[in-house]
Amino acid sequence: MKRIAARTLYTLIVLLLSSIAVFYAIRLSGGDAVSARLPASASYEEREEFRELLGLNDPMHEQYFRYMGRLLTFDLGKSLTNNADIFDMLTHHGKNSLILGAAAFGLVFAIGVPLGILAAVRRNSWADGSVMTFSVAGMAVPNFWLALLTVWLFASTLGWLPSAGCCSFKQLILPAVVLAMEGIALTVRMTRSAMLENLGQDFVRTLRAGGLSESSIIGKHVLRNAMVPIISLAGLRIGQIVGYALVVETIFGWPGLGQVLVNAVLRRDYPVAQFFSLVLITIVVLSNWLADVGYTVANPRLRKT
Amino acid sequence: MSPDPGEATTNGAGRQPVLSVRNLHTAVATPEGSFDVVRDVSFDIQPNEVLCLVGESGCGKTITALSIMRLLPTPPVRITSGEIVFDGTDLTELPERRVRDVRSERISMIFQDPLTSLDPVFTVGQVMTEVIRTHRDATKAEARDMSVEILRAVGLPAPEQRFDSYPHELSGGMRQRVMIATALVLDPEILIADEPTTALDVTVQAQILERLRSEQQDRNMSMLLITHDLAVVASIADRVAVMYAGEIVEEAPVDELFSNPRHPYTQGLLRALPHASRKRRELVPIPGLVPPMQMMPTGCRFAPRCPHALERCWSDQPPHEVEAGVGFRCFNPQPF
Repeated sequence: MKRIAARTLYTLIVLLLSSIAVFYAIRLSGGDAVSARLPASASYEEREEFRELLGLNDPMHEQYFRYMGRLLTFDLGKSLTNNADIFDMLTHHGKNSLILGAAAFGLVFAIGVPLGILAAVRRNSWADGSVMTFSVAGMAVPNFWLALLTVWLFASTLGWLPSAGCCSFKQLILPAVVLAMEGIALTVRMTRSAMLENLGQDFVRTLRAGGLSESSIIGKHVLRNAMVPIISLAGLRIGQIVGYALVVETIFGWPGLGQVLVNAVLRRDYPVAQFFSLVLITIVVLSNWLADVGYTVANPRLRKT
Repeated sequence: MSPDPGEATTNGAGRQPVLSVRNLHTAVATPEGSFDVVRDVSFDIQPNEVLCLVGESGCGKTITALSIMRLLPTPPVRITSGEIVFDGTDLTELPERRVRDVRSERISMIFQDPLTSLDPVFTVGQVMTEVIRTHRDATKAEARDMSVEILRAVGLPAPEQRFDSYPHELSGGMRQRVMIATALVLDPEILIADEPTTALDVTVQAQILERLRSEQQDRNMSMLLITHDLAVVASIADRVAVMYAGEIVEEAPVDELFSNPRHPYTQGLLRALPHASRKRRELVPIPGLVPPMQMMPTGCRFAPRCPHALERCWSDQPPHEVEAGVGFRCFNPQPF
């Protein structure tokens, strides 16, 4: 419990620091919100007036405290570009991102763990070789390229799947696979090495001496031991998926949080960019926190400390 | 009532052994070739007796035990020839599926390091229950009762609570008791104990040995105990087989071995032992080292370290013959 409490405090500090970083970064990155909102023909006076209205001429720390004050009272404000309510954007696009992210996250484990077990059990066979080659390729190929490749193959050439759009099952397949690929590749490797490491442990010999079947020893005892590091790093996979979602959602025209954030940053839509950055950061940080809790739950040796 | 173990062994020649190892060779494959880590090992285990297999680290004691259990890490280690006869069948020829029926149900084994030898993410009870239910038709409740009963019998305090403990919640001695309980729960005919007390505190060692001895007698069970500790041998063994460099060099009832060792290696081991009755006598180490397996002598494997080696010891391998339970592998035995 002490361990979990310490991690929780750490998580809150990270969130606070990142809110500052995000706030300053987007204001220091050049361009400004006014040009995104007003037509190019707007006069200098009109622009200044608008800046005053938004409080953009105040010192940055004052802007920060004002923004955080509103955020803590759940006053999220509106988009500067189209006046849309940010809370509505969150629920609408958040749902789409959740569908895509959950599909990718599920694929990471549904494909990664069984392939890793296969590679470990048939070590040094052709199956192991193929799985490991696939894993190296999965880690090496950048996902934007994989996205283009799969669109070319499955959408343009074979015509099996749509190239973009939302939100049917068929439209979900390509972005989910692309988003999951690196996670699958890493999970395969981790599962294989954790299985092999635990297969070499003394307790395996004891279980064999007990007359247990190989399927129980491998599928139950060794697997459960091997899952300790995999579960503990599952949270990191969430963070990875969130990060890649920016690219993948944009390429596949999947209207999720990532796409909203990319557009907001390009248009210097401060309130939207700030808020959605914070949302994504919170997800990543929370998933790391979850990883710690998960590690404690998966490993009985840590439960009572 | 169990018969007097001393009688069972010295006059054991006429009885039917429970386990008979005949000319066992176990080899390890290396890039430089295949080498016998166990060479021409033969011994019998009689009903109700404790046979100790003694020797220094790496002499092949554990490999011999793992050969019997068919738990060798294959590859690279495998049995190349010989027989291990148990209940009329040769265990070396049994398919894996049938070997699993023998393990734990009829021949059990416990290991040296009770910390790493127990599955860390399952409770004591989960593993014991699984072992029982693999071999017997038992409900979970019945398996629990059997487990708690045997945990109590091996001296584990509060067995009902310990049933639900994880290994890391137990001390070294308690873990070893758990391993013993798991090995004995199906009432096997033979228990193989590989250095069961080496990783434990001295005071706990004595308790564990005493417990093993009393369980062995109460259950009319035979035991093959592997150790490098002659004090353990003196306290528990009925009969002793001394191993050196993969071979059994001497085999005798325990009293005979300590009072009248024939083989120069056995004699060397005893001279290297501190002894309360021999006042302030200096310990005499055996000169030299065990030859590496790639460089085993063609003759007697102990010849390079032997003070009494003859010409033919370097060229010929002395045979191992056992008469009336006493045997040794030496051309030139000296009085001790």
